[in-house]
Amino acid sequence: MSIYTLGIDIGSTASKCIMLEDGKEIVAKSLIDVGAGTSGPQRAIDQVLSEAGKSQEEMSFILATGYGRNSLEEFADSQMSELSCHAKGAAFLFPKVKTVIDIGGQDVKVMRVENGVMTNFQMNDKCAAGTGRFLDVMARVLEVDVQDLGALGAQSTKYVGISSTCTVFAESEVISQLSMGTDKRDIINGIHQSVASRVAGLAHRIGVQDQVVMTGGVAQNTGVVNALQEALGREIHTSPLTQYNGALGAALFAYQKYQKAQK
Amino acid sequence: MSIEVLLKEFAEISEHPRRQIQAFKAEGKKVVGVLPYYAPEELVYAAGMVPMGIWGSNKKTISMAKEYCATFYCTIAQLALEMLLDGTLDDLDGLITPTICDTLRPMSQNFRVAMKDKLPCIFLAHPQQRKPAFGIQFTMDQYQHVKGELEKISGNTITDEALREAIKVYNRSRAARREFVKLAGEHPDVISAVSRSAVLRSAWFMIKDDHTAKVEALNAELRALPPCDWKGKKILTSGIICDNPKLLQIFDDNQIAIAADDVAHESRMIRVDAAETGDPMMALAQQFADQDYDILLYDENSNQNRRADFVVKQIKDSGAQGLVLFMQQFCDPEEMEYPYLKKALDAAGIPHIKLGVDQQMRDFGQASTAIQAFADVL
Repeated sequence: MSIYTLGIDIGSTASKCIMLEDGKEIVAKSLIDVGAGTSGPQRAIDQVLSEAGKSQEEMSFILATGYGRNSLEEFADSQMSELSCHAKGAAFLFPKVKTVIDIGGQDVKVMRVENGVMTNFQMNDKCAAGTGRFLDVMARVLEVDVQDLGALGAQSTKYVGISSTCTVFAESEVISQLSMGTDKRDIINGIHQSVASRVAGLAHRIGVQDQVVMTGGVAQNTGVVNALQEALGREIHTSPLTQYNGALGAALFAYQKYQKAQK
Repeated sequence: MSIEVLLKEFAEISEHPRRQIQAFKAEGKKVVGVLPYYAPEELVYAAGMVPMGIWGSNKKTISMAKEYCATFYCTIAQLALEMLLDGTLDDLDGLITPTICDTLRPMSQNFRVAMKDKLPCIFLAHPQQRKPAFGIQFTMDQYQHVKGELEKISGNTITDEALREAIKVYNRSRAARREFVKLAGEHPDVISAVSRSAVLRSAWFMIKDDHTAKVEALNAELRALPPCDWKGKKILTSGIICDNPKLLQIFDDNQIAIAADDVAHESRMIRVDAAETGDPMMALAQQFADQDYDILLYDENSNQNRRADFVVKQIKDSGAQGLVLFMQQFCDPEEMEYPYLKKALDAAGIPHIKLGVDQQMRDFGQASTAIQAFADVL
């Protein structure tokens, strides 16, 4: 009989679920674009169960992670920090991974992974610089969709430096560039380099080793990924499941915990 | 008295320093505020007054103090001024303002200007060169100045006999607290991180005789306990201050015990005793000269990274598996020292995390994630 485990990653800006069969096969996944403190977690859970045609009772173990992990105490069997889950998920997708860079909605994390286990990590200070929130703010000022930033930045033809790493100051800098008539695509490219510079600085604190994997929603932005590859001088691997990586790690840990409990 | 009852009393006092001041005043006592670091509280005690430690606040936000402070002053100093301006500390009879760091030095003048004729502010400048004879003489001269000002406030002469008695009281207090720190590290099943902090924090708000009596009673209870088979993790805390119960609760929630500390607000201030015989002013100056392994103190052999090695030894001796550094926002000395501490920790293979904190923080979501992940790494 198959064992089903559910991983739920409640982030600051999105809720993600992954259902695994026997700790190996992804049965279903869901993503709702609102996170902790919203209807997002429940909707994501309903959606993943519906997609798999399963009920909560059929889940052998449910593990929550992410900023809102403590809000599911009654639903989940256990909770873990998203750092451990991201490292776990990345090691599942990329067995040779040694460095995981996760840019989330409100923080940046860099994890060192040895043989699939997190051995060290760094987080950004309590500041939105270099995070998904930073990109959201900039997209709003530039009147573009945050999902289009990667494609637009790729069309840049001229270097525009956004020197401030502080979200508030960088916003002023962007407005100043706009008022001077600078091409939005060049500004976007400058923003990507600003994020990459900040994240690379954090990554160097624990040392960057190949293979480098980037996870989290911002990994979908090719502009940031390319800028970060340049800043680190290393190839960065991403997965189509990048946004689900934390939930995947949670589902994997859920399977491990279930097996341990059975012994 | 049971451990539970004692811990409850410490928690109550720790969370209500203003109530303590009001109670002292109701008894007709004079109360002198003592800012960080290394102020000779013994002089206040010997003058027949109550010293009240002022290490900022976890419940206030900076508003009125902004008029006087640069934005990069630490919240400990700014919130101390805030409480002086908003009436929280109106019952104080005086204030000692040490000047050992780059924030407290200019802040001593901010306190003076802000308080004008309202509150006597006693300037205290410790010497950088505290060990040579001229440094000890400088400390004695400074303490003599503090002594004279305290005598004016209290109306009492501080005799050598009274000061020697005060030194005995404080030595006993320090010894009791040092033993408590050790016992708390051995019995994390009974002394949570939150309770541990309350015991140590309340020392700043109590007459030392009363605090010592309670700590000694608690120590006796802890000594009688069977050894604890702790299944969680153990760490050493470092930094200027980490007394926010909400932040410390995260450690308890994740089964992380504080085996020992290198925290200014806790153990750094109780490491060294003063001689109980001879010239008591010399004894206090010598006590300051004997202080060591603190980022705030000049170290002529700093190239040997002695302080970081000391912290590494503390970790090993206490059985801690890693270090959690509470980095006070804008604290230059702590920030400047961090690379050297990191170097020593890395060389010894000791994992650590650095948490950026300030006293206006009310949400610890990010710290919670980092602490929980750290427990997974240990």
